[in-house]
Amino acid sequence: MKKSHFIKASLLTSLVGIAISGPALADNPTLKIGFVGVTSGPAAAWGISNQRSMETRADWINEIGGVKIGDKTYDIEIVAFDDQKDPKRAVAGMEKMAQEGIHYVVGPNVDDGAAAVRPVAEQKGIMYFPYAFPKSLYTAPASNAVLGMVANYQSGPAIYKYLMEHKGVKKVAFVAANESDPLSQRDGGVEAAKKLGLDVVSSNVTYQVDTTDFTPVILPVIKSRPDLLVLSGVSPANAPQLIRSARELGYTGLISTETAQDANVLKEGAGDLANGFISVGGASTPELASDTMREFVKRYTKKYGEYNDESNTKVYALEYIIATLQADPDAIDDVQDFQETMDTFEAPNPYMVGNAKLKYVGDTSFGQKRQLSVPLVVNVYKDGKFETLFVAQVD
Amino acid sequence: MEQIIVNGLYLGAQYALIALGLTLIFSLMNVMNFAHGQMYVMGGFITYTVVSQFNIPFFIALIISGMALAVIGALIEKFLFRPVIKKSKRDESTMLLAAGIGFFLDSVILLAFGEKQRGVPKIIDGVFNWDFRIIMPYDRIVIGCIAIAMIIAFMLLMHYSKAGRAMRALAQDKVAATLMGVNVDRYQMIGFALGAMLAGVVGGLLVTITGINLGMGGPTSTKAFIMIMIGGAGVIPGAIVGGFILGMMESVGLSVLSQYGDITYLLIFASLMIFLAIRPHGLMGKPWG
Amino acid sequence: MNKKILAYVALFLVFVYAVVPMLINISGRLDFYYTLTSVALLSIASAGVWLTFYIGRINIGQGAFALAGGYVSAILISQYGFNFWVTLPIAGLFCAVLSVFIGLPILRLRGVYFAMVTLVLTEVMRLTTLALPITQGAKGITSLPLPSGLEIFGLKLIPDFSTLENPKVGFYMMAITLMIIAYAVLYRIVNSRLGHLCRSLQQNEELASSIGVNTTYLRVLTYSISSFFGGIAGASFVAITQSIYPSSFQVADSINFMLNCFLGGLGYVFGPMLGTLMLYFGWDLLFTIGKYQMLVYSSLLIILMLFLPNGVLSLFDRKEKR
Repeated sequence: MKKSHFIKASLLTSLVGIAISGPALADNPTLKIGFVGVTSGPAAAWGISNQRSMETRADWINEIGGVKIGDKTYDIEIVAFDDQKDPKRAVAGMEKMAQEGIHYVVGPNVDDGAAAVRPVAEQKGIMYFPYAFPKSLYTAPASNAVLGMVANYQSGPAIYKYLMEHKGVKKVAFVAANESDPLSQRDGGVEAAKKLGLDVVSSNVTYQVDTTDFTPVILPVIKSRPDLLVLSGVSPANAPQLIRSARELGYTGLISTETAQDANVLKEGAGDLANGFISVGGASTPELASDTMREFVKRYTKKYGEYNDESNTKVYALEYIIATLQADPDAIDDVQDFQETMDTFEAPNPYMVGNAKLKYVGDTSFGQKRQLSVPLVVNVYKDGKFETLFVAQVD
Repeated sequence: MEQIIVNGLYLGAQYALIALGLTLIFSLMNVMNFAHGQMYVMGGFITYTVVSQFNIPFFIALIISGMALAVIGALIEKFLFRPVIKKSKRDESTMLLAAGIGFFLDSVILLAFGEKQRGVPKIIDGVFNWDFRIIMPYDRIVIGCIAIAMIIAFMLLMHYSKAGRAMRALAQDKVAATLMGVNVDRYQMIGFALGAMLAGVVGGLLVTITGINLGMGGPTSTKAFIMIMIGGAGVIPGAIVGGFILGMMESVGLSVLSQYGDITYLLIFASLMIFLAIRPHGLMGKPWG
Repeated sequence: MNKKILAYVALFLVFVYAVVPMLINISGRLDFYYTLTSVALLSIASAGVWLTFYIGRINIGQGAFALAGGYVSAILISQYGFNFWVTLPIAGLFCAVLSVFIGLPILRLRGVYFAMVTLVLTEVMRLTTLALPITQGAKGITSLPLPSGLEIFGLKLIPDFSTLENPKVGFYMMAITLMIIAYAVLYRIVNSRLGHLCRSLQQNEELASSIGVNTTYLRVLTYSISSFFGGIAGASFVAITQSIYPSSFQVADSINFMLNCFLGGLGYVFGPMLGTLMLYFGWDLLFTIGKYQMLVYSSLLIILMLFLPNGVLSLFDRKEKR
C-alpha cells in the first residue's frame, strides 16, 4: 500500500523537527526556567503574553552576558510547554519540566490546571507561579505555589472602596462567563462588595465565552440600574464587546474588571466607548514605568512586532525567580532553600520608579508568604491608552 | 419585548449566514466540516488586516476575504477531501481530516495574525433609539440587513442559476444527478468554495461588531452544527430557520431566564436535546441524517 | 482463541508491564510514566467511543461521562470518605445507569444528529457540574488524597499510594491494568454474539430489527458499556491530579476521543489504543519545536489521513484488496 509514502512523510517531518530544535550555543551554563500554560486555542492570549514576556527578558539578560547567581554566571533558557488549557496536559507539562531538571516554573494560567499540577510539583520539588486565584493553592499544607499577580479578592475591594469614596458608587452589578475562573472571581467580588456595604443589584447573569452578541446578555443587567458594572474575570477578547453592548444600550455608569487588559484591543473593539473603563495593570503607565520597564516594552515590541499590555503584570515572575536565586544561590536546585528565603527576601523593583520593592507577601490572604508583591496599579482607559487611577499594595 | 425580538433577529441573521455555508458543504459531500469556524475566523482576520494595515475600505476588504476563502476552500476540497472521500470506507472518516484542517488553520492563524483580539472601527456611528423600547446601533442594523440580503441572494442563486440547480440536484440524489450529466467533482468543489466563502464573508462582516480572535473557531463550528441540527442537516432552508431559532432562543432565553443565572445556557442546551429527541431529523431534515 | 493470538497477548503483557518500565528507568525519562498513564486511561474512554461507532453511532459525548465519573469518585472520596478503589467501579456504574436514561431518547437519532446531540451533552454536563451544589460549582474539588491501600480478607491487593516511593509507577500499573481489562472486554464483545448483532446494527438497523433483533435494547446496552468506560477513565484521572473541575473534561476531549478512534481505524478493536498513543504522545514529542508544535502536529494528522483514511491499522490488512 502507501507505506512508503508514509515513511517518507514521517522521515521528512522528523528531519524538520530536528532542524528546528537545534541546540542553542552558549558559553555560560544555562539556567532553565519553565513555563506551562496555554499558548494555543481560545485562551492563547493569556499564555502567549506570558511566554513572550519571559522570552524577551531572557534574551535581554543573555545579551548583556547572563545573570550572576552565586559565583557562576548563567544564561537563561525558557522551556515552554503548551497545555492547551487542559489540566491533564498541564500535569504532563509539569512532568516534562521535572524531567528537564527545572525547579522553577511559571504558570499554569487557569484554576483547574494549577490545582492539577500541585501533586507533581510538590513531589518533584518544583516551585510554580500560577495565575490562578483559589486560596487553597497557596494556604498550607500547599507549599509550592506562588501567586504571580494580585488576586481579584485583593484588588476588588480596593477598587470598589475607591469608587465608593470618589465616585459615589452605591449599586453594583456583576457579569461573568460561565467558566470556573470567572465564576469564582465573581463570587469573590460579590462577597467583597457586600462586605463594603454596596448594594449588589445583579449578580447571576452569565454568558458563554463564545458569545458573539452581548446585547441580550447585558440587557437584564442594565435594567437593574447599577452605578458600577463589574466584568468578573473577563477575557481580553470579551471585554470590548461587553463594554460596547452596555454603552450602546445607554448605560452611563462605571465599568470595571479585576483582570489585566490590553489598551489596543479595547481601542479596536470598543473605540471611544471604552473610555473610563477601569482595569488592573502592571507598572507601564507613564507615571510609574521606570527606564527598565520602557526598555522591556521596547524589546518586546521589537521582538514580536506588538506589545501586549497584559505583559505588564507578567514580567514579574521571572524577575522574582532570578532575584531570589541571586539572594540565595543554593536555592538553584533546592526549593526548600527558596521557600525559606522567601520569608525575608527583599530587592528593589526595577520596573517601577521610586523605591518600590520586590518581596513576597500574602500573609493576610494565605497565612504564608506565597504571593509576589506586584504593585496593584488600577488603570483607567482613555483614548487608546491607560492612565493610572491609583496605586495600592497588597500585604 | 420588542428589544428582545430585534436582538434575536439580528443574532439569527448572523447565525443563519454561518450555518448556510456549513449545511451546503454537508448536503453536497456528507462532510461535517469541523474547520468551518476556523474559516470564519480566517475571513475576519483577512478583513482586519486588509482594512487596518493597508487602509482599504471595509467593503472591498470584505470581498477580498470572501475571495481568499473561496480559493482556500476550493484547494482544500480538491487536494484533501476529494482523495480521502474516494479512499475511505466510512463517510465519517472525513471528520478526522476536517478536525486536522481545523487545527492546521488555527495554527496558521496564530502564526500569521497573532493571539490578540482584533477589530476594525465601527462603520457607522450612532445608535437607533426608539423611545427606549428598541435600542439598536446603526452598524448592527446595517450588518443585519447585509446578512439578510446575502441570505436572499444565496437562495436566489441556488434556485435559479445553473450551478445552484446542479448543487441542489447533487444534494438530493447524487447518483441520479450524475446520470443526468452533472459533473460531481466540479460542483462539489464549487459548493465547498461557496461554503468557505460564506464563512469568510461572515467573519469579515462581524469583525466590525464583535471583533475576531483566535479562539472563536471551534465554538463557532459547534454553534453552527447546532443550528443545522435544529433545521435539519443538509437542508438549506433548514439552516436559515435553525439560525433564526437559535438566535431567538438565546435572546429570549437570556432575558426570561436571567434570574436563574448560571443555568440559562444549561436550559437552552437541554431543551435543544429534548427537541431533537422528539424530532430526530430537525424541523425539515431528511431521515438519512 | 488460537495460540498465535495468545502469544501476541503474552508478548504485549510482558512489554507493557516489564519492558516499558525498564526502558524508562534506563533512559531516565521518568516523565513518560505519566504520559503513558494518560494514554492508557484516555484509550479506555476512546474504547467506549469505538464501541458506539461499532453500532453505527458517532459519539462526541464521552467527555460528559468522563466528567461525571470523575465527579462521582471525587465526591465519594471527599465528602463520604470512600476508598478510591471502591469509587472506581461505582463511578463506572453511575455513568452506565446515567447513559441508559440519556441513551433511551437520543439513541433513536442517527448520523450527524446523534453526533451533535452528544456534543451538546458534553457542554450540558459541564454546565450541570458548574450549577450543582454537590460538585461545589466553579470552585471544583481539590486536595483529594492519593488512593489508599486495598485489602480483601486480609490479603493486601493494592498498596497505599502515598507510601509508594514513586506513585507515578503505581498509577502506570493501574492504568495499564485497567486498559488491558477494558480491551479484553471489548475484544470479547466484538467476537461474541453481541458483536455480530452490533455489526448488523451498523450495517442496517431496519433490517436487523425486522429479523427480530431487539435494536433498542442492544443500542442502550452498548452505549452504557461505552459510558462505563468513560466513567472509569474520568475517575482514574481524578486520582492522579487529585482534583477535578467542571473543565477537566470538555468538548475538546470529547472530540479527541472520537479522533483517536478514527486515527487508529474504526474497523480494528485495537485502533483506539493506537490512535490515542499517536495523538497524545505525538503532541508530547513535538513539544521541543515550540511555537510550530501545532502546525507540525496538524500537518502530520492531515498527511496521515490523506494516505491512510481508514486508520493507521489499515496498513496491516494487505489481504483485503479492493
